[in-house]
Amino acid sequence: MQRNLSIEDLVIFSALFFVLMAGLAILGWGVPIAYVMHGWLIAAAAGWGLLWMLGRACGGAVKIPLEYNDRVIRFGIIAALIWGIIGFTVGDILAWQLAFPSLNGDMSWSNFGRLRPVHTSGVIFGFGGNALIATSFFVVQRTSRARLASETLPWVIFWGYNLFMVISASGYLSGITQSKEYAEPEWYADLLLLIVWIGYLTLYLRTLAKRAEPHIYVANWYYLAFIVVIAMLHVVNNLAVPVSIAYPKSYSLFAGTQDAMTQWWYGHNAVGFLLTAGFLGMLYYFLPKAVNRPVYSYRMSIVGFWGITFLYLWAGAHHLHYTALPDWVQYLGMTMSIILLVPSWASVFNGILTLNGAWDKVRTDPAVRFMMVAILFYGLSTFEGSFMAIRPVNSLSHYTDWTVGHVHAGALGWVAFITFGTMYKLVPWVWKREGVYSLKLEAWHFWLALIGTLIYVGAMWNSGITQSLMWQTYDADGAFLYSFLDSVVEMHPYYVARAIGGLLYLIGACIGVYNIYMTVSGPEKVKTQQAEPLASQPAE
Amino acid sequence: MALKEKDPVSGTNLTGHEWDGITELDTPVPWAARWALWGSIAIAAGYWVFYPSFPTVTDYAKGILGYSSRLEVVSSLKEAEAERRQTFAPFQSGDIASLAKDPSLEARYGAAISKLYEDNCAACHTAELTGQEGFPNLTDNHWLWSGTPEEIEYTIRYGINATHDETRMAQMLAFGADEMLEKPQVTEVVEFVLALSGQDHDALAVEAGEVVFEENCAACHGDDGRGGYENGAPDLGDDQWIYGGTRNDIYHSVYYGRQGVMSAWEGRLDDPQIRMLTLYLLWSAEDAPS
Repeated sequence: MQRNLSIEDLVIFSALFFVLMAGLAILGWGVPIAYVMHGWLIAAAAGWGLLWMLGRACGGAVKIPLEYNDRVIRFGIIAALIWGIIGFTVGDILAWQLAFPSLNGDMSWSNFGRLRPVHTSGVIFGFGGNALIATSFFVVQRTSRARLASETLPWVIFWGYNLFMVISASGYLSGITQSKEYAEPEWYADLLLLIVWIGYLTLYLRTLAKRAEPHIYVANWYYLAFIVVIAMLHVVNNLAVPVSIAYPKSYSLFAGTQDAMTQWWYGHNAVGFLLTAGFLGMLYYFLPKAVNRPVYSYRMSIVGFWGITFLYLWAGAHHLHYTALPDWVQYLGMTMSIILLVPSWASVFNGILTLNGAWDKVRTDPAVRFMMVAILFYGLSTFEGSFMAIRPVNSLSHYTDWTVGHVHAGALGWVAFITFGTMYKLVPWVWKREGVYSLKLEAWHFWLALIGTLIYVGAMWNSGITQSLMWQTYDADGAFLYSFLDSVVEMHPYYVARAIGGLLYLIGACIGVYNIYMTVSGPEKVKTQQAEPLASQPAE
Repeated sequence: MALKEKDPVSGTNLTGHEWDGITELDTPVPWAARWALWGSIAIAAGYWVFYPSFPTVTDYAKGILGYSSRLEVVSSLKEAEAERRQTFAPFQSGDIASLAKDPSLEARYGAAISKLYEDNCAACHTAELTGQEGFPNLTDNHWLWSGTPEEIEYTIRYGINATHDETRMAQMLAFGADEMLEKPQVTEVVEFVLALSGQDHDALAVEAGEVVFEENCAACHGDDGRGGYENGAPDLGDDQWIYGGTRNDIYHSVYYGRQGVMSAWEGRLDDPQIRMLTLYLLWSAEDAPS
C-alpha cells in the first residue's frame, strides 16, 4: 500500500502549525519566566513535529507494514513508568512532609502546595494516562484485527500528551495553577491537551471503524467511554477566560456553588472514567488473556458497563455534602452513588469469576496475582465509595484522612496493581521477549506493593476516623474537648506509618521498573512462523 | 442460530464471539446481583420520595418530609447557642474587671477555654503561650498595651495593625532603610539598647547612642527606654524580645523597622469568647513565674 499526503496529514499539519504559532506568541509576549519557557517548549515540540512531517512527505511514499503498530506502545510504556516513579517519589516526599513539616524545605517550589499536584498529576495522568493510552492502542488493534488507523496521529498523541504533562508539572513547581483539583493546568496547557484528545478520539474511532471483527469487544467500550467522557469533562470544567496572552492566569467561567459542582462533576468522573472505566478496559483484555479463560459473563459486562457509564455522571455531588449545594443535588448524587455499587460489583465478580478454572495461575504467576488483588481492591474501594457517599457517613468521613485512604485504596490497590499486572504481560509481548526477566523480582514487587498499600490504607482509616471523632467531641458544656491542634498531634504516628507504607510501595515499583528494564534489554524471542492474525487491510 | 459451543470447565455456553482468542461465557446475571440492583434502586427511590431529589422545570421535588438542611442547621445552631448561653452564663456580662476577680472561674472553665485558645491563638503564640519570633510571649507579665483586663480584651477584640477601624496602631520606623539615621548612628543606638538590657556592649558607643536614642526613640520607648502602654512600644530594659535581643536582631529592627499584626477577633469570636480568652491570658500570666 502506498502512502501519499492525505486530508489527515493536512489537518495534523495545520494543527501543529497552530500550536507552533501559539508557542511563539507565548514566548514572545509572555512575561513570567516559567510561562516563556513553556512557550519555547511548545514551539520547539510543534516545530519538530512539522519538520518531521515535512521530511516524511519529501521522502516519497512509504509502505505501511502489514502488522500491528507497537512502536508507539513501547514509548507509552516507558513514559508511564517514568511518570510513575516520579509520581510515587513525590508522593512519598509529601507523606514525609506531612509527618515532619520542616521537610518542606523553605523553598517556594518544594513546599507541599506546589509538590502535591506534581504527585497527583504525575500518577493519575502521567502514569495512569500513559498506561491507558498505550494499552488502549494495543487492545484496539488486537480486538479489531486492524492496524492503528493513522501513522502520524499515534505519535502526535504520545508526544503531545507528554508535552502537556511536562508543562503541567513544571508549571506547578513555579506556581502556575488554576487551583482546580486534578485540573490544575492553566488554559494554554488545557488547549494543548484538548487538541491531543480530539486526535486520540478520532484515531480510536477510526481504528474501530476499520475493524475486521463483527463485534466491538467490551474492553473497547470502556476505553471509548474513558476517551469520550474525559473529553467532555476536560472541556466543561476548564472553560475559563485568560487575562491575556502575556500571562498564564485565567478566570473560570463558573463562580461559587456552580464552580464547585462543575469541579466535582469533573473530579468524580475523572475517578469514574479515567481511574475506573479506563482500567476496567485494561482488565477486560489482559485478565482473560493472561489466564486464558473466557470472560465469566457477557451479560454482567453489559450491566457493569451501562450501570457505571450512566450512574457515575450523577454522583459528583456527593463530594459536596453539607455545603451550600442545594439539598436536591446532594440527595440525587447520594442515591445514584448507592445504586452505583451493584454495577461496580458486577465488574468485580465478572473479573474474579473469570479466574474460575485458572486459579492456580494466581499462585504461579505474580502478574495474575497483581490482577486478582487489583480486582479485590477495586471491589473494596467502590463499596467504600458508595458507603461514604451516604450523607451521615460522609459527615464522619468528609475532610478527614479517610478520604485520602479511600483514594489510595483505589489508586495504589486497584489502578497501579492492574497496571503493573498488565505491564508484566504486555512488555514481553510488545518487545517480543520470551517472558519477564525475573518472576522472583516480580513477586517481590507484588508483596512490597501489597504490604505498602495495606499499611497506607490502614493508617489513613485510623487517622481519618480518629480525627473526625476528635473534631466532633464536645464536653458537658458544649465546648470542644479537643482543639484542632490536638488532632494534628494525634495524627503523627499514622503519618509516619503512611510514609513508610508509601516508601515500601515506591521500592516495589523501582524493583518492577528494573525488572522491566532487564526484560527489555534481554534477548528477543526466537521467531516462530506463527504470525499474529492481522487482517489484510482494505484500501483506504 | 447455530448451536453454541460449551466451555468444558464451567459447562456454560459461550456467546460465540471471539477476539484475539478471548471468548465470553453466556452466564446469566446471578439472582443475588439482580436483587441487589433492584434493592439499591428501591432504597434510592425511597429517598426520592422522602427527601428533596429531582429538579422540575422551575423548582425541585421537595420530598414528603419537607427536609431542608438549611433549616436544620439554623435550628441546631440556635439550640447550641442557647445551651452555650446557659453553660457559659458568667461570661455573658460585660464587666470584665469583676470577672477577673472571680477565682472560681479558672477551675470551672479553664479546660474548655484552653481549647478555644488552641484553636484560635496557638498558631502564632504557640500552645504553651510562650510566643515565637514575631509573636509575644503571653505568660511573662510583660505587656505591650498594659495587662489590665480591659486593655487585653481591647487588643483581642480589635487587634494590632489590623483592618478594624478601632485597631491599635504601632510601628517601629525603619530608621536606617528610610535614612532617618546614618549607619554609624544605628550601630551606636544598638549598643545603647544592649546596655539598657544589661547585655555585653561597646562602652565607647553607648554615649553617642544615648543621644541618638533621646532624639529618635524616647518619644515612644520613653526616656528610660522602658516602653509605654500608650503606643505599644516595648520595654527595652527587660530580657523579653519579640524579634530577638542579639546585636544583629536589634540592628535589624532599628534599620528595617517592625510592624507586627495581631488580627481583630471581633466578628469571628463572640463577646463571651473574647472575654474567656482575656481571662485565660490573665490566669496564664499569673501562674507564670515572673
